[in-house]
Amino acid sequence: MDYFEVFGLPRVLGIESATLERAFHDLSRKYHPDYFTTASEAEQAQALRMTALLNDAYRTLRHPVRRVEYLVSLEGFKPDGSKVPKSLLMEVFEINEKLEEVKTGNASVEEIDSLRALIHQKRDKFDTELQAASQEWDELLKSGAPEAKRKEQLAKLTEILSESSYIRNLERDLEGH
Amino acid sequence: MPKIVGIDLGTTNSLVAIVEDGTPRVIPGADGNMLVPSVIYFDEGGNVLVGNDAKAKMVEKPTNTIFSIKRFMGKGIEDVREDLPLLPFDVSPDSEHIIRLKIFGRDYTPPELSAFILRELKRNAEAALGEEIKNAVITVPAYFNDAQRQATKDAGRIAGLDVLRIVNEPTAASLAYGLDKKNQGTIAVYDFGGGTFDISILKLSDGIFEVLSTAGDTHLGGDDIDEQLIRLVLGDLGRTPDVHTIPAIRKAVNKTKEDLSSGDEAEIVVEQLQYRRPITRAEFDKLIDPTIERTLRPCRLALQDAGLRTSDIEEVVMVGGSTRIPLVRQRVQELFGRVPHTELNPDEVVALGAAVQADILAGGKRDMLLLDVTPLSLGIETMGGVMSKIIPRNSTIPASATEMFTTFIEGQTNVKIHVLQGERELVKDSRSLAQFDLKDIPPMPAGMPRIEVKFLIDADGILSVAAQEQRTGKYQSIEVKPTYGLTDEQVEHMILESFEYAEADIEARLVIESRNEAETVLNATAKGTADEHYGELSAEERAEISAAVQHLRQVMRSDNHQAIREGIERLGQATMKLAELIMNSAISKALKDKRVREIQ
Repeated sequence: MDYFEVFGLPRVLGIESATLERAFHDLSRKYHPDYFTTASEAEQAQALRMTALLNDAYRTLRHPVRRVEYLVSLEGFKPDGSKVPKSLLMEVFEINEKLEEVKTGNASVEEIDSLRALIHQKRDKFDTELQAASQEWDELLKSGAPEAKRKEQLAKLTEILSESSYIRNLERDLEGH
Repeated sequence: MPKIVGIDLGTTNSLVAIVEDGTPRVIPGADGNMLVPSVIYFDEGGNVLVGNDAKAKMVEKPTNTIFSIKRFMGKGIEDVREDLPLLPFDVSPDSEHIIRLKIFGRDYTPPELSAFILRELKRNAEAALGEEIKNAVITVPAYFNDAQRQATKDAGRIAGLDVLRIVNEPTAASLAYGLDKKNQGTIAVYDFGGGTFDISILKLSDGIFEVLSTAGDTHLGGDDIDEQLIRLVLGDLGRTPDVHTIPAIRKAVNKTKEDLSSGDEAEIVVEQLQYRRPITRAEFDKLIDPTIERTLRPCRLALQDAGLRTSDIEEVVMVGGSTRIPLVRQRVQELFGRVPHTELNPDEVVALGAAVQADILAGGKRDMLLLDVTPLSLGIETMGGVMSKIIPRNSTIPASATEMFTTFIEGQTNVKIHVLQGERELVKDSRSLAQFDLKDIPPMPAGMPRIEVKFLIDADGILSVAAQEQRTGKYQSIEVKPTYGLTDEQVEHMILESFEYAEADIEARLVIESRNEAETVLNATAKGTADEHYGELSAEERAEISAAVQHLRQVMRSDNHQAIREGIERLGQATMKLAELIMNSAISKALKDKRVREIQ
């Protein structure tokens, strides 16, 4: 059973968080090990397995980026950092140099703030792209588009993920310092 | 369905509670107290006292009176090196992976010591409920790692309890608060106890208690505040710590700390050192402020992990004895911008919540459900000493992750997996959890086996691992070597040993009880023989009293409780007439007084 099936969903990317949460709570009430303490060992093991799967599924699907990552891997695609455009790599390289200054304590508060603003701007751009591409995917799915079309869209989603992972790493480095 | 109790196994005090007719209540001990101090006293003869009786020995017998053992759970000697100078315990050299305290030549691990406390609580519950108790829910700090949780479960097993669930303390507290509170909204539980600090952020909706994030410090609590005061006293005295003075100072500063929760000034008085020092609330606040500041950082982290701001928190609940300190309340109020809840007794609320969870497990309440999280990320060691995270912190538990492993050498039949917990990137900065040794892999060329390893964190927050070779479909046998914990065989061995204690315990208890009763009877007799009516007895009657007193004093020195009982009985018989004489005269005197008053 894949994560979408756990929630009885087709492989869509536009999932409303309140709806998902409600389903998560309902399914938790159905499977949770707390309700099987007096049941047979086999039933207890099943409850544990199902609840773990449910929790793993919820953790993945509730997050808009992790949801896309999961979908593409389920469809056999894999983000590949080496296929990223050179221009992006150059930008990332420059930002990384500035990050080094922050890490070594050689950056002023203003410099850190402007670096943060720059990284956020890039991240927001990718988020917008990912959101648009996700919507396109849902429309293709709904209209029953041919497999070639869908594969093309999955490739596009994968590409956005590959590129945005550089930016997310920068963000993590900045906030983690 | 046999009864399931809820147990709060605390650093300073422990409690047991049960839900009856839908309401949780704490079960008091034989002495009527709700709190059983988490103190264990050993005497030369192998007798063990737990609770208030043991606490009474702390100053007099420091080296064989064990306290705050929870701080040692799931730890090795290096983890507690800094604390040792202020603790009077004799640590065995064999303590690298599990601390062992040497008491009269025998080594005890923290789970074995905690089991003494659990056994006492079990007995209290059995006495109150009139049936054998075998099942329990035990609470732990939310920030406890795998080893600390496992150690708690081991303690339960050694005490003869089936631990049906390990529940996080702040979450348990929210259950107790949730009973009569509104059932929607986002709350923060700030749990500052004797030895540990936790913050948990929860979302409540229609009976679902969903933990969004948790953070904390399992080595930050009231004990640290005591230690600051102890160092202050030692500084005044110009002394280095020594085993015999520290417990007296600890007792004194503990009282001062409590006094300062209600008063603006207090005094530290250590009579045996002729030491006195006044201290104001302001001085105290200044001293402990850095410690309280250390609790605020995890609060901010938990909010960040939950993706919330302080203004999103609708209620703040205070749990744990250290939240009685006014400065703690003030700092928490400043951080969250609202007055925290302190309605429920902060010492009892966790045990009450544990009882509620026990009731859920027993099938009593199906409308409530706790969804808790794992406090620390789980990872495996990969090439170059890097920790690769496979289950992130604050994942709802049960949670799982699947990883593929293979071999590096032709015909390799074993693969070792090193599992870690923590947030850092490198293995050396993380907490080692265990080595899993996958065995009997079918011999194949290097890189050919595909071993799927499933890591599962259960609802107790404890890890288990299963592995299957994909080409052959064969499940691999796994040998688990916990880094900071007991193996299954060791726990089994301790369970066997503990049976002796269970019997010796009852025996020792009967001896102590009969001795106490003998003391009371002897005191009463001494008063009686000093009474004017004593002269009214015949010479034989007086001789029999003396003989019975001598006899009782003699048998009291033995460990034979039956002989002591018989001695008490004999003295009772001998003094019966004397007692009657005194009683009659007291009654007639009372009547006389009454008449005098009536006349007036």
